Amino acid sequence: MALTDAVEIPRRTMVLFFVVDTSGSMTGSKLGAVNTAIEEVIPAIKEISDENADAQIKIAALEFSSGAHWITQNGPMELDQFHWNDLQAAGVTDLGEACKALNEKLSTKAFMKEATGSFAPAIFLLSDGEPTDNWQSGLGILKQNNWFKTAVKVAVAIGDDANKDVLAEFTGTKEAVLEVHNAAALKKMIKFVSVRASQVASKSSNAGAADSGDEQKQAELNANLKELKEDLAASPDNDQEDW
Amino acid sequence: MADLANGYTIKTKNFRKIVVGKKLGEGGQGAVYQVNYDGKQKALKWYSGKKLSNPDKFYQNLENNIKKGKPTNAFLWPEDITEKDGEAFGYIMDLRTNEYVDFTKILLGKKKEHAFASITAMCNASLQIIDGFGELHRKGYSYQDLNDGNFFINTKTGEVLICDNDNVSEAGKNSGIAGKARYMAPEIVAKGKMPDKYTDRFSLAVVLFLLWTKNHPLEGKAAFPVCMDTKHEKKIYGESPVFIFDPNDDSNRPVQGLNKGAIANWPFLPVYLQEQFQKAFGKEALQDPARRIQELEWLRTFIRLRSEIYKCPCGEVYFADPVNLNPCPSCKKQNKFAFYLKFGRYNVAVHQRTKLYACHTEKDSDDFQTLTGEVAAKGSDFELKNISSKNWTVTDGGNTSSVVPNAVIMLKKDITINFGNAQAEII
Repeated sequence: MALTDAVEIPRRTMVLFFVVDTSGSMTGSKLGAVNTAIEEVIPAIKEISDENADAQIKIAALEFSSGAHWITQNGPMELDQFHWNDLQAAGVTDLGEACKALNEKLSTKAFMKEATGSFAPAIFLLSDGEPTDNWQSGLGILKQNNWFKTAVKVAVAIGDDANKDVLAEFTGTKEAVLEVHNAAALKKMIKFVSVRASQVASKSSNAGAADSGDEQKQAELNANLKELKEDLAASPDNDQEDW
Repeated sequence: MADLANGYTIKTKNFRKIVVGKKLGEGGQGAVYQVNYDGKQKALKWYSGKKLSNPDKFYQNLENNIKKGKPTNAFLWPEDITEKDGEAFGYIMDLRTNEYVDFTKILLGKKKEHAFASITAMCNASLQIIDGFGELHRKGYSYQDLNDGNFFINTKTGEVLICDNDNVSEAGKNSGIAGKARYMAPEIVAKGKMPDKYTDRFSLAVVLFLLWTKNHPLEGKAAFPVCMDTKHEKKIYGESPVFIFDPNDDSNRPVQGLNKGAIANWPFLPVYLQEQFQKAFGKEALQDPARRIQELEWLRTFIRLRSEIYKCPCGEVYFADPVNLNPCPSCKKQNKFAFYLKFGRYNVAVHQRTKLYACHTEKDSDDFQTLTGEVAAKGSDFELKNISSKNWTVTDGGNTSSVVPNAVIMLKKDITINFGNAQAEII
């Protein structure tokens, strides 16, 4: 090999987890907007990954309704191999099951076994309803998971029936919970959050951060979310209340 | 942040009109747009103001930098600043042209066109980066947020553009940025110290090491914990950093299959450059900012490196020391040179591609860009052409003769060339 040869610098991995509620109530424009937005944002995330020497980004996706089901069953996928297949809505809202499934895979024995190590993941939860199972138990277990503890987390409450308090329990802070009432805003939100969460979580952390530096990535993302909230509040589309 | 609409107009402090065009990109602090600025195509970096820790101070700092002007042409420097639009504001700079490749892409090595065309281009890029930071520091600034996203390089020529100059601050001041842990000096990462000239020097050494090895200097076997959380980043880059080629500590050596660039490229570097890196990332320099390598020292090392580039008859290009001969790493042949020019600071081998610059032929000059002499092969002989503006004098035994600009000298052993205020012996 010559000095001038192209060789890839070793870089870490950052997994972006989509955790999507596919209960029956998501039918129609809610899940439609989710499917479209995720499909459309993948190229943007690929671009962030392709232009990042700190980490490459991989995608994992979990859907939950009556039980939880991994869409990426064999582990996080590289972006050029990942294709979003539209999810279908049916069943109840087993958030507790989703938490347990996440806990199981957030492990060096499962999804987090990269040779070059992984940055704390970014976890993006989308839900439109009150959990129907014993979510406290599932979330309690998940909250003991070190990957989850250090992860950057965001949740979107879709429509009036979503329980924002439950979602804030998941993210650890109300600041990381967004609320949305129409499809246009939901699409915008999914794209914005996926991109920003990927950017923040996939870079080497800011030097000089306080000891709990992973909280600092969350804080950086929260500042971005605040801006998004203000932006949406100022937008005329936001007056439309579909859900 | 809401995007600026196409066609939106803004006034600058100098009463010039900006018409916003398409959005070119978005960074951590703001977005960049192509704009029409007083009839010229320029770039506008636009901040909402919300992501800055102290927007007023940031604005003042930009104004001040505009007034003081760019350190070297390698900087894409702020040229004008807008009036504030609510909390938002922006500054004008030159557009970056397409022949420049993002340093990040060079490190990712995904495409052939993102690789350097030649070792000379790599040397030129190193020299321009070093020179840029040297001038910046000499002017009393520090860059503060140096990382792989700040450089764009023409991979054919090695010309460099240094971007994101918005955090550049005068000594003693800080823009509020803390930079990425991978690029920041250990005292920033571990102790939260503010960036300054000395921390810039650490980051500069990181960038140079990355450029030559495609590996981070602190990322060997101890740097890939399964969960790379902030606690581990702090340890690796701040609390207990270990250079991957530390001669006295092998706890962080490169790993086969993982640190490919480091393993392949390090042996190719001459010992004096390896030693310079070992000093730059040695325990002492990691802990004591004052012991870091200064820009001038790097500059002279890379001037020497560039002058040792030699194409072996076997086709391999390597660094050939004209005094202590070293074999070609490919064919193992020990190439000998008919002569070399012995200057006060440098020894320059004579072959068909030898070039002299002002840093060779001018006393106390570190100008690595102004060409002053060029060697051409004439059969088995070599002649040196004076392409400087000065008269040179050649002393051969007791005889002296003058070499006017554009005239040539036939080189032979034991003559002395006086270039005006510097001289070299032919050995």
